[in-house]
Amino acid sequence: MLRRDINELLTQTGPGTPMGELFRQYWIPALLAEELPENDAPPVRVKLLSERLLAFRDSDGRYGLVDEFCAHRGASLWFGRNEGSGLRCPYHGWKYDVTGQCIEVPSEADNSSFCQNVQLTSYPLVKIGDVLWTYMGDAAHQPPLPEFEFVHVPAEQTYTSKRWQQCNWLQAFEGGIDSSHVTFLHSGGLKTDPLFKGAKGNEYNMKDTKPFFEVADSEGGLFVGARRNAEPGTYYWRITPWVMPSFTMVPPRGDHPVHGHFWVPIDDENCWTYSFDYHPVRALTDAERQAMIDGHGVHSKNIPGTYRPEANMDNDYLIDREAQKRGDTYSGVAGIAMQDASLQESMGPIVDRTKERLVPADSGIIKARQKLRKAAIALRDEGVRPPGVDPAHHRVRSAAVVLPQAESFLDSCRDAVTATPGVAQSSV
Amino acid sequence: MAVPAASRVTPTAAVPAAPGYPSQSARAASAAESRFRITVPIAPARNARVVALDPAAAAVARSVAGRPWAHARFYTCGPVPPGVPEGLALTELQGSGAPVPLPELLEGTDVVMVLATEDSGREQAAAIGGACWARAVTTAGVVLGDGFEADEAVAALRPYARVLLLSADEGDVVDLLTALRV
Ligand code: FES
Ligand SMILES: [Fe+2]
Repeated sequence: MLRRDINELLTQTGPGTPMGELFRQYWIPALLAEELPENDAPPVRVKLLSERLLAFRDSDGRYGLVDEFCAHRGASLWFGRNEGSGLRCPYHGWKYDVTGQCIEVPSEADNSSFCQNVQLTSYPLVKIGDVLWTYMGDAAHQPPLPEFEFVHVPAEQTYTSKRWQQCNWLQAFEGGIDSSHVTFLHSGGLKTDPLFKGAKGNEYNMKDTKPFFEVADSEGGLFVGARRNAEPGTYYWRITPWVMPSFTMVPPRGDHPVHGHFWVPIDDENCWTYSFDYHPVRALTDAERQAMIDGHGVHSKNIPGTYRPEANMDNDYLIDREAQKRGDTYSGVAGIAMQDASLQESMGPIVDRTKERLVPADSGIIKARQKLRKAAIALRDEGVRPPGVDPAHHRVRSAAVVLPQAESFLDSCRDAVTATPGVAQSSV
Repeated sequence: MAVPAASRVTPTAAVPAAPGYPSQSARAASAAESRFRITVPIAPARNARVVALDPAAAAVARSVAGRPWAHARFYTCGPVPPGVPEGLALTELQGSGAPVPLPELLEGTDVVMVLATEDSGREQAAAIGGACWARAVTTAGVVLGDGFEADEAVAALRPYARVLLLSADEGDVVDLLTALRV
């Protein structure tokens, strides 16, 4: 259970809200690089943290993220002409560069200085890996660029997709640190999904459906360890890192690529789920990459030309009651991603957390909410920089290991949960 | 007469989507429909016992105990009699001060939260963990501070505690108990 005022604090991320200000301390994914595939590509509408923005890539390859609406009379610059190192509003021809600076107002005298005083709100937009990242906070406090491993390994080792999720960011994110649902909701996928199946760890997963949990602070957020019985005298540990505000990684399985998520609020009732898969030391195989494109693993099969999943709330997620009965899928919805999204969206756009009945196994979620609340309040009241801003906090990994029963996962897995270039993931 | 396949109505279709909504799920997930979730007061369902294993943990328990809780009760514990773990006696923080034997404390309880700051309570941790395990009482361990001083207490709890919250503070205890509605 969460008090109503705290639920509102954590779920509202528009300008001026405490959680909105917290998100504005970080570099966050704004869109995929593939959405602006070439210079002068069509601009893309991007709504983030309840702000309507427009992303474009100019004739010189510079990226910009600016107010969607023309400073003149408010027409959408989405209709703009992206040409000659700027974006021109097609209504009366005002032109802007990637920083939002107006560089031409045709109705004014040729050498008029008027346009120098016209500046659209804009945020930096930087390509790192397959993702275009933005920082929407105070320019004076802009942190160094993100160092998450999935965007720093060579291109052939990584793949990122995204999907529109029709609910508040927090309930989507909470699924990422909620290790106890995997044994139920995703049980079908452990046997059949090409990006999961065949790992030794899956057997421990299936054999012991009542995991034990340990939740520990990390510099950037938390580590959530889920432990199951392995061979006598040993435990199988799955360790999920969370880096604030909303980056998580799923513990790996065998030599399959490692995956994870980044949840980004669009507005208070929608979010982007970025899903990535990478292998720290080898290229993804063609089969792996194709499986990701086809929506296996943590990815989704999207409606061509969009980032909306083919199975979505408008078609009841293509639920298949026969498959549910047979046990092919646990809920009747196909695919890990939509199994999660269907249930998270079913809670309503912003779930009423005053009605929950939490159990000790939900401690990871309880602790994460507390850390978010504390960080948002410390930032608001004392200007304290939150965990997860420092790029050193980004260099984490998930891990799956078998340890002697007496060992603490934290002591034994320091190296395993640290992202070290050229070193393979720790996985069973 | 057999119903032609084409006219068979699936259970999903039996509840038609409302105008403006392409499916049952879309309508049901809307903000407008969320308002119709049944609101009934949720009775506190947990009969929790919070046990402090050492003096510093007891200070935290005392402070948390001062808040309004439905059923939660707070205890400190004495020494474990050699070879008789269930002989452990506990003292309720806001009670008469009379010792309560461990088996009695666990009667009617469904969750025990153990608080530790250092290793002096490792035997008590094992005794409580084992007794809870035998009675199917869910156990949660909360390690206050950075946890390094309590690694033996943690190791003693690990086999039994459904969840261990490491590097916790008083706020975590409050949040956990609040979330569990005790
Ligand atoms: S069992 Fe967790 S939401 Fe229903
Ligand atoms: Fe999931």
